[in-house]
Amino acid sequence: MQTGFSLAQLADSDVANSEEILRTCVHCGFCTATCPTYVLLGDERDSPRGRIYMIKQSLENDRPADADLVRHIDRCLSCLACMTTCPSGVDYMHLVDHARRHIRETGHRPWHQWATRWVLATVLPFPGRFRAAVAAAFYARPLSALLRRFEPAKPLAAMLRLAPRTLPPRSRHERPGVIPAIGERRARVALLRGCAQPVLGPGINDAAIRLLTRRGFEVVLPEGEGCCGALVHHMGETESAETFARRNIEAWTREIDGEGLDAILVTTSGCGTTLKDYGFLFRNDPDMAAKAAAISERAQDISEFLETVDLGTSHDRPPVKVAYHAACSLQHGQQIKDAPKTLLARAGYDVREPAESHLCCGSAGTYNILQSDIATQLRDRKAGHLSALDADVVAAGNLGCMVQIGQAVDLPVVHTVELLDWAYGGEVPPSLAAARLA
Amino acid sequence: MSEVIAPADAAELADVVRAHAARTAPVAVIGSGTRASWGRPVDAGQVLSTRAMAGITLYEPAEQVVAAAAGTPVAALDAELAAHNQRLAFEPPDLCGFFGTDGEPTVGGLAAGNLSGPRRIGAGAARDSLIGVEAVNGAGEPVKAGGRVMKNVTGYDLVKLLAGSFGTLAVLTGVTFKVAPRPETERTLVVRGQSLDAAIATMGAALASPHAVTGAAYDPGGSATATTALRLEGFEGSVNRRIAALKDDLDLTGEVDELDAERSADLWRSIRDVSALAGSSPVWRLSVKPTAAAEIATALGPIAPVRLLFDWGGGLIWAMVPDDIAHAGAPTVRAAVAAAGGHATLVRAPESVRRSADVFQPLPEPVMRLTRAVKRAFDPQGILNPGRMYRDM
Amino acid sequence: MSELAVPEPDANVLARRDEIVAGLRSIVGDDGLVDSQEGRRVYETDALTAYRAVPLAVVLPRTTDEVAAVLAFLAREGVKVVARGAGTSLSGGALPSTDSVVLGLSRMNRILSVDFDNRTARVEAGVTNINITNAVAGQGFFYAPDPSSQLACTIAGNIAMNSGGAHCLKYGVTTNNVLGLRMVLMDGTIVDLGGEHLDAPGYDLLGVVVGSEGQLGVVTEATVRILRAAEGARPILMGFGSAEAAGACVAAIIASGVTPVALEYMDRPAIKVCEAFAKAGYPLDVEALLIVEVEGSEADMADQIERIVAVAAAHGPTVTRVSQSEAESAAIWRGRKAAFGAMGRISDYLCMDGVIPTGRLPEVLVRVGEICAGYGLQVANIFHAGDGNLHPLVLYDMNDPAELRKAEAAGADILKLCVEVGGCLTGEHGVGIEKRDLMAAQFSAADLDQQMRIKSAFDPGWLLNPAKVFPLDGRPEKDEGAA
Repeated sequence: MQTGFSLAQLADSDVANSEEILRTCVHCGFCTATCPTYVLLGDERDSPRGRIYMIKQSLENDRPADADLVRHIDRCLSCLACMTTCPSGVDYMHLVDHARRHIRETGHRPWHQWATRWVLATVLPFPGRFRAAVAAAFYARPLSALLRRFEPAKPLAAMLRLAPRTLPPRSRHERPGVIPAIGERRARVALLRGCAQPVLGPGINDAAIRLLTRRGFEVVLPEGEGCCGALVHHMGETESAETFARRNIEAWTREIDGEGLDAILVTTSGCGTTLKDYGFLFRNDPDMAAKAAAISERAQDISEFLETVDLGTSHDRPPVKVAYHAACSLQHGQQIKDAPKTLLARAGYDVREPAESHLCCGSAGTYNILQSDIATQLRDRKAGHLSALDADVVAAGNLGCMVQIGQAVDLPVVHTVELLDWAYGGEVPPSLAAARLA
Repeated sequence: MSEVIAPADAAELADVVRAHAARTAPVAVIGSGTRASWGRPVDAGQVLSTRAMAGITLYEPAEQVVAAAAGTPVAALDAELAAHNQRLAFEPPDLCGFFGTDGEPTVGGLAAGNLSGPRRIGAGAARDSLIGVEAVNGAGEPVKAGGRVMKNVTGYDLVKLLAGSFGTLAVLTGVTFKVAPRPETERTLVVRGQSLDAAIATMGAALASPHAVTGAAYDPGGSATATTALRLEGFEGSVNRRIAALKDDLDLTGEVDELDAERSADLWRSIRDVSALAGSSPVWRLSVKPTAAAEIATALGPIAPVRLLFDWGGGLIWAMVPDDIAHAGAPTVRAAVAAAGGHATLVRAPESVRRSADVFQPLPEPVMRLTRAVKRAFDPQGILNPGRMYRDM
Repeated sequence: MSELAVPEPDANVLARRDEIVAGLRSIVGDDGLVDSQEGRRVYETDALTAYRAVPLAVVLPRTTDEVAAVLAFLAREGVKVVARGAGTSLSGGALPSTDSVVLGLSRMNRILSVDFDNRTARVEAGVTNINITNAVAGQGFFYAPDPSSQLACTIAGNIAMNSGGAHCLKYGVTTNNVLGLRMVLMDGTIVDLGGEHLDAPGYDLLGVVVGSEGQLGVVTEATVRILRAAEGARPILMGFGSAEAAGACVAAIIASGVTPVALEYMDRPAIKVCEAFAKAGYPLDVEALLIVEVEGSEADMADQIERIVAVAAAHGPTVTRVSQSEAESAAIWRGRKAAFGAMGRISDYLCMDGVIPTGRLPEVLVRVGEICAGYGLQVANIFHAGDGNLHPLVLYDMNDPAELRKAEAAGADILKLCVEVGGCLTGEHGVGIEKRDLMAAQFSAADLDQQMRIKSAFDPGWLLNPAKVFPLDGRPEKDEGAA
C-alpha cells in the first residue's frame, strides 16, 4: 500500500521496519479467509488486513493507540495463519509485535486489564510462583462461574477453569544439569525447560530426554535459563521480554563457548517461534546481535530435529489412531507442517488430520485467559473436528494447545514426542495407559 | 391479415419502429414466423419480420465466434459452422414439425426464444452461448450489448435480458454466438422399460458421474416401451471408454442397448425437436428440478391421459394434454408447479385458449413489478409484441 | 490518492448522521454497527487502495430480514448504500462515499443446503467461493467459477461482478452457474429469482442481476450449480521463441477439437519474476510460456495430451514438459499461481483486465509494451489464452503520486486498445470506479442510456452503489417518485 511516513518518523528503526512491512501489503484480503477471528466475527476490523490498516493509520499519524486499535489487536491471536496465506510475504508477526508495543506505551486500558496483565506477567514465567498459583486456584475454582458474569473478571474466571485440579508428579530433570547420551555421543543439544511446561507437563521433556539420550544425544539443561519471554512479548512488554531473552542468550552462549551446542531444542512450539526471533529482537543491539543470531540459528523444534535423525525401528505396539493437531506456532510461525506427521507415520501410527486444521484452537499463549469468549468458541470448533476423526489420542506439539484442547475432548491429549518415545523403546504415556490403549 | 414488412437492414428497421412508436401503434415482431404461436396472440396492425436481414457478418473459427444478421436461417449458419467442424453448443431445436409451420427458423429467433436442446444440461442454453446482440428497442433506437469476446463484464448484461424476451423488449437485428468444436463422434446408451422413478435415478446418476454425459432424456413411451437415453460425445476412443465406464457405474438391469453415431444423432434430433408430440393437442413445457419430475407426473393425473417427455435429466418436461380439457388443464398444471417448484409455459394451444390463458408462468408480484419496469425501460410505448408474454404488457 | 471524480456528498445526509446511525443501531444492534471514525476507516477501500472514502457508517447484518429493514430505512432517509462482500474487488466495487452506508455481507456465511440429486447448493451470499467447493468436495463435486481470489472472495461479490476463473474456459463464468438468488431491492422488497430449475419463467432477470455490480439490489442468498469433478487433471508446459508462435499454437489447439480446462500464457518479464520467486523450473530463454491443462480419466488425459503435443509441434516449442506426477503438476502450476504475489514483491503494480480476440495477442503485446514504455513504466503480461482475457501488470511506485497517474493513464490506453481491436474493457474485474470513465470507448450514448434505464427500473432513486459503472455526466435525473 501507499505509505505516508515522514523522514523523522522513519528515523526510528521500529517504524522504518514497520513501514517496509506496510508497503508489502497490497490489501488483497486473502488473509481474511484463514483468520480465526474474521471467520468467527465477520468484521474487517478483526481480520489481519483490517488490523494492518489500523496499525498503519495509528503509526503514520503519530496517534496514541485508540480504543478500536486496542480492542482489535487484543483480539488478534498471533496465530500467523495470515502469514501462511499471504501471497505478498507480509511480515505480519513483527508488525503486530510493534503494534502491541505501541499499545503498551500509548494505549488506554481500564485498571482491571492492567491488573490482570500484571498478574500474568508476574506469575506465569516463574515455575515456583506458577506452581503456587495453581495450588491456590484449586480452592478458588468454584468462584469461576460467578466471576464469568462480570466482564472485568472474565480473565480470572478463565484462569481458574484452566488450572488443572491436580498436578502431575514433578520431573527429576527440573534442575540444571547434563544427561549423558546412552552409548556413543553423537551430538550435544540443549533442551528448553520453559516456564509453564515444567509445572503442567513435565512428562513432555522427560519423554524427549529419554528419546534423545537413547539415540546418542547428550542433553544439557543449562544453568541460568528461564522463560523465553514470549508471554510478556505478546503483551507488548518489550523491555521485560528482552530481559528474559538476554538471560537465556547468555546461558546458551556460555554452553556454546564451553562444551558446545549443536542445537537448542524446544518442545513448546510457542517458545520455539520466539527463540527463532531472538536474532530480530536484538538486531540493533551491538552487544547482543551476533549472539542472538547464533541462538536463533541453533533453535529447532523437537520434530524438526528428530526428522533428520535415525530413530531406529519402532517397537511392536497395538495400533493407535492419532488425531494430529497442528499448533499455530509450529505450522504457521515456524512453517513446520510435515515433520510431526511424517515422524508419527514412520513410527507406525495411523495419523489423521482434522478439518480446518489451519485454524487456531484458541490457546494462543494467554489468549484463552484474556479473550476467553472467542477462545472458547475456537476451542469447541477445534474439538468438534478432532472428535470427528474417531481417533484414540490427540497429539500436539505445544503445551498450550494440549491444555486448551484437553478441556473439550474426551480423548487423551499428549505431546508428539511422548508418542515417539513410546514407539522407539520408551514408556507408554500415562494418559494412554489409563485409557487402556497399551 | 396483417401486412408484413421485412426491412433490408437495421437502419430501415429502426425507422419502422420509430414510426410506430410515434403513433403508439403495436407491431408484431417475428423472424420467419415458425414459432409465432409460442406465446399469447399479438393484436397488431403490422408484422415486422427480420427475415430479409440475413448473412453471416463475422466468423472466426480460431476465435470460436460467429456473428450473423438476425434473419439468417439457422440451417445456413449450421452448415457454415459444420464446414469448419464447429457447431452451436446449445443444440437449437427446429420446432416447425412441432408447430406444424413451414419456413426457416432464424438465428434471431433462437436468441429471442432462448431455444435450447438436450445438450443444455452440459453446454448451457442459448443465452449462455449468446455473447453479443445488436437490436432496436421499442423507441426505435439502435442499441448493442455484449460484443464478440467470451469474457465480457463491461456494464450490465443486457444480452441475457434480451435472450428469451420473445421480441417484447427489442427487435434483434444481429446476434453473436460463441461456438464449440464438433466432436468426432457420439454414442448413446439406451435403457428400455424403466419406470419414471428409475429413469430419473439413472439419469441423475449419469449426470453426477465424471463421464461428461451430454444428453439425458426419458420417453415413457405412450404405447411403446419406455426409453431412457444417455449420450456421450467426443473422440472415438474417449467415447468408447466413457460409455463402458458409465455402464459399469450405473449397474443397470433390464434391456440395455448402445446406439452408434448415426442412430444416436437421429434419436437426439427427434428428442430435440419434440417429434413425439407433433400434432395439434395442447402442450405444456415445464422447467423443474429433476427430482420433482415424478411428483409432477402424478399431479397431472386429473387431466390424464397426458403424453409426457422428459429431457435435461428430468428438468425439462413436455406434457401433451387432451384436446377436450378446459383451458388446456391450466389449473392442474399450475397447481402441480406451485407444489413442486419451477414453472410451466403453454407452448402450443389453439389461439382462443392462448388468448384467455396465462401462457407464461404468472409471476409473484415483486417479480412482475420488475418485469413491467424492464419492459418500460426498453419499450416505453409498449408497441413491441404487446401481450405476447403477459396479458397487459 | 487518485483523482477520479466523485459526486459532492449529500450535505443533508451528512448533517443527519447521528439520526441515521441511531436508526441503524435500532435495526442491527450495537454488535451489527461500526460507528467509530477509526472503525469506519477500515472499510474505506477494497483491493484497489488508490481510492478511499470513509463511509457514514457500516452495518453487518445477519439475516435477509435485517438487510431488508436496513435498506427500507435508508431508502426513506435517502441514504446511499454500498454492499460489500470480502472487499477483494480490483475495480473499486466496494469503495464507499462519505455519504453512503457500507452494508457488509460477511456475517451471512452459512451454507444452507446441498442437493446432490439435483446438483445444486443454496448458500448465503457471504459464503466464500472456495467454501462452496469445500462443502461438496467430499462427494467429488465442485463449484466451477474459481477466480484466483476464491479463498477469500464471496459469492455475493462473484455475482456482482460475474466473476470468472481458470476453469471458466470449460465451465463458464458465474452467470452460467447460478440458478437462483434472493435479493433485496433498495426499497426493502425481498425478491426471489430462479430456483433449482434451469430456465427463467419470463425475462432473464437473474441474468441481468449477475454482473450488475451491486447496483440493482443486494443479493443475500444464491442457488448455484455444483458439478462432478473430473477424474484427474494434468498440465503441459511449453515454451516458445515468439508470441506469434505461441498464439498460433493456441489457435491450433482450439481447432483440434480438444477442450482444455485451462490455457495460460505468460510473457518473458512475467516468467522471469515468477521463476525467481517460485523456482518452478521455468525456462528463462523463451518469449512466451503456455500452460495447458486437460481433464478426464487417465486414458482420456493421455489421449488429449498426445493430440496437443502433436498439434503444438508444428509451432516449434523450444521446451515441452508433460507432467508425469502430482509433484510435477504442482511445480508447473506453482510459478503461474504465484505470479501476482511474486510481482508484488518486486514492485507495486496495477493489474489491468482487458479482453482481446485471442488472435490479436502478438500485436497487442507489442503495443502494450510501447504504451508503457511511453510512460516510462515496465509491464509484464499474464493472459488467459483460451478466452482472450489479458492481465497486463503495469509496474510503478505507489508512493510516487506522479507514477500512479502515469500507471493509470497507461492502463486506460491499454484498455482502449483492447476495445479498438474488437475486445472489451473488462473480462473479470468489472467496471467499478476504475473504468467508469472509459465506458464511452466501448458503448454509444444510446447503449449507456439503455443500461441506465434498467438501473432506474430496479433502483429508481439511484441509491445503490452510486458513482460506479456509468460516467457521471449523462446520467438521468433522479426519479424521486417512482418505485
